[in-house]
Amino acid sequence: MNGTLIIFLAIIGAGLILCFLRMLKGPTASDRAVAVDTVTTTIVALLVLLGFIFERYVYLDVSLVYSMISFVGLVALARFLERGI
Amino acid sequence: MIFVFLLVLLMLIAAIAASIFKDLISAVIAAALVSLIAAILFYLLQAPDVAMAEAAIGAALVTVVFIIAIRRTKRFEE
Repeated sequence: MNGTLIIFLAIIGAGLILCFLRMLKGPTASDRAVAVDTVTTTIVALLVLLGFIFERYVYLDVSLVYSMISFVGLVALARFLERGI
Repeated sequence: MIFVFLLVLLMLIAAIAASIFKDLISAVIAAALVSLIAAILFYLLQAPDVAMAEAAIGAALVTVVFIIAIRRTKRFEE
């Protein structure tokens, strides 16, 4: 693993920590929902980067399933917060 | 290796936060975050199929079931 990939991992880790602080602090439930959705997007980027590091391109399917599935949960959450299923 | 420690630490803090939130919707969101990071850890242990199942069941299905259950009862803990 060369230095560029380590810098990428450090940037992704910093993004995860910042979104996580917003999830802990956020006054309303909507703030927390948006923070978790941002964490999901960052983690999809991390999965693609790790698939590149491990050099196994089958692993990219996991990130596809991950992003599609998290969308369903967020839609259910937003619908509850707006008017209650 | 440091990255794995960071992920485990974030998972632990999210699990503690899920148990102390008074707003149950916020607790469900924190539990979904625990499940997401667990899926990442499975992925790092070279088990992508287990990670796929964990992401599908833990992040989406459990969240939707909990939201439906909270809708039938009360939202805030007393």
